[in-house]
Amino acid sequence: MAESGGLLAVDGLTKRFGGLVAVDDLSFTVERGEILGVIGPNGAGKSTVFNCVVGQYDVTDGRVTFADDDVTDWDTHDIVNAGLARVSQHSRPFDAMTVRENIHLFTVPNSVLAFRGGASDEAVGDIAALVGIDDALDERPPDLTHEYTRRLEIARALATDPELLLLDEPFAGFTQEEVRDLRASIETINDDGTALVVVDHNMRGLMALVDRVVVVHDGALLTSGTPEEIADDDTVADVYLGETGDAS
Amino acid sequence: MSSDTTTAGFDVGGAFDVNAPQAVVAVVAALGLLTLPFWASESFTNVMVYAGFWAVFAAGWDVISGHTGYISFGHSLLSGSAAYATALLVVKVDPHLSLFVTIPVSIGAAVAMGMVFGLPSLRLRGPYFSLVTFTSVLIALKLIDVFSGVTNGHLGMSGIDVFTYDTTTFYYYTLGLAACVGAVLVVVSRSNVGRVLLAINAREQTVEEAGIDTTKFKLWAFLISAITMGFGGVFLAHYYGNVSPANSMSVADSILIIAMAAVGGTGSIVGPMAGAYLLLFLRDVLFQNWLGIGSNVRLVLLWAIVVVLLVAAPEGVFVRLWRWLGDPRGGGSRG
Repeated sequence: MAESGGLLAVDGLTKRFGGLVAVDDLSFTVERGEILGVIGPNGAGKSTVFNCVVGQYDVTDGRVTFADDDVTDWDTHDIVNAGLARVSQHSRPFDAMTVRENIHLFTVPNSVLAFRGGASDEAVGDIAALVGIDDALDERPPDLTHEYTRRLEIARALATDPELLLLDEPFAGFTQEEVRDLRASIETINDDGTALVVVDHNMRGLMALVDRVVVVHDGALLTSGTPEEIADDDTVADVYLGETGDAS
Repeated sequence: MSSDTTTAGFDVGGAFDVNAPQAVVAVVAALGLLTLPFWASESFTNVMVYAGFWAVFAAGWDVISGHTGYISFGHSLLSGSAAYATALLVVKVDPHLSLFVTIPVSIGAAVAMGMVFGLPSLRLRGPYFSLVTFTSVLIALKLIDVFSGVTNGHLGMSGIDVFTYDTTTFYYYTLGLAACVGAVLVVVSRSNVGRVLLAINAREQTVEEAGIDTTKFKLWAFLISAITMGFGGVFLAHYYGNVSPANSMSVADSILIIAMAAVGGTGSIVGPMAGAYLLLFLRDVLFQNWLGIGSNVRLVLLWAIVVVLLVAAPEGVFVRLWRWLGDPRGGGSRG
């Protein structure tokens, strides 16, 4: 099934909720080491795609292949352990745990007999440093800024040591400066060999970051190409009429 | 500041650090329990004998329900199955069977029951899990009637060896059992396993996204819980010498276990155990023995106090106390 060389292959993915077709026969691939942008207006089905990819939703039709394994019907934890991590657009840190404990939980072995184990304090600190939150290790999420909370979500996903990291709307609610900083962090993560898929409804934040772009509209693939090709595409401009003015 | 009660007891774990006030309170409580028969009346001591069973039950419930938020309304099924297994073995098979046979078989019965109802129901969420556990006790109670030729129905089965009729000796048996169970479960609760279970309560999907098979961990917790309930059930059979629906498997027992755990502080093991001692002290020592309050009024009072405590300290009175001792100025209400 796997397309040769592709790290992730989404093939004919369809997801229906009752009569609503949220994702409609969508196919795309992610190559090893690249950063793929997935854009589309709000409600285009982007998050649904990734809920299907990580096994949170059962798919109606189609296949998802990751690292040559057909993971379509796998449980979320098996997909994560295979090397695919997702950062949801909604932050869900464990409020009662410190930042350190939040990250550590994502390194705990998937074994009921592993009473101890997981990353050392030092390793947790290194993960936090990758996304620039190592000065807040003993804070609790309710005391963090929005930016730090989002970065904590990324740190937790990184703690699972992913080969591919899906970031759903990572820049939402960020200031221009925070967007710039996070973009630098994402590039560092990519330089370390991790492929990324970055989802956004806003093109501008993504264009400087990604190698390729996939445009999703009404749950289906509208077009794909390099950032430059997408920027010049009239169809994409039509879809985005009224959306391009969003502050990033 | 978060006061999210679903994660209450969360940061009791993680470390065994205790400060001086906490250490003093812990030592005084331990000494009080260890010396109880020497300063308390026999009737007081007797209440504390079965408070020991209830502490075991509350801790057993806490491992699965208090930690993961999958609230079981049917935990007396597990202890009751063990008690009935012991009774059946002794009364129907061989009265001279060794405890080395009856105890493992009885605990096996609790585990088997737990797996019959736990395996399918742990995939259910929220009220559905609770409903299945609740229904399972109702089914078991009816089965006891249906097979009354074997179980002797409401009257139950007698003739089980009572370990000892000496209240003081039995007090130390149950205190010892509770201490051993508590020690093991506290270690589990403070380990990665306990942290994962508590995180499942906060948000199960996120735990899956950490690469952790939440179903496996819930089943493990249910297994540990069933073993704990099994130990308690076997001891209970050898305490009463008789196993009946009323003394071993009542629905009210399942509810009382939850109240003890909630009042003490779910997810902390020690809190629910202390909750068991507290509620039985109030009901049977203070209200009954000392104040001579009649049985109906006594229960109204008990449940009213449970409600007040749950509203006043949703994280549990002992968890609240422990945090306050740890940081009096922090107010102890941190989530």
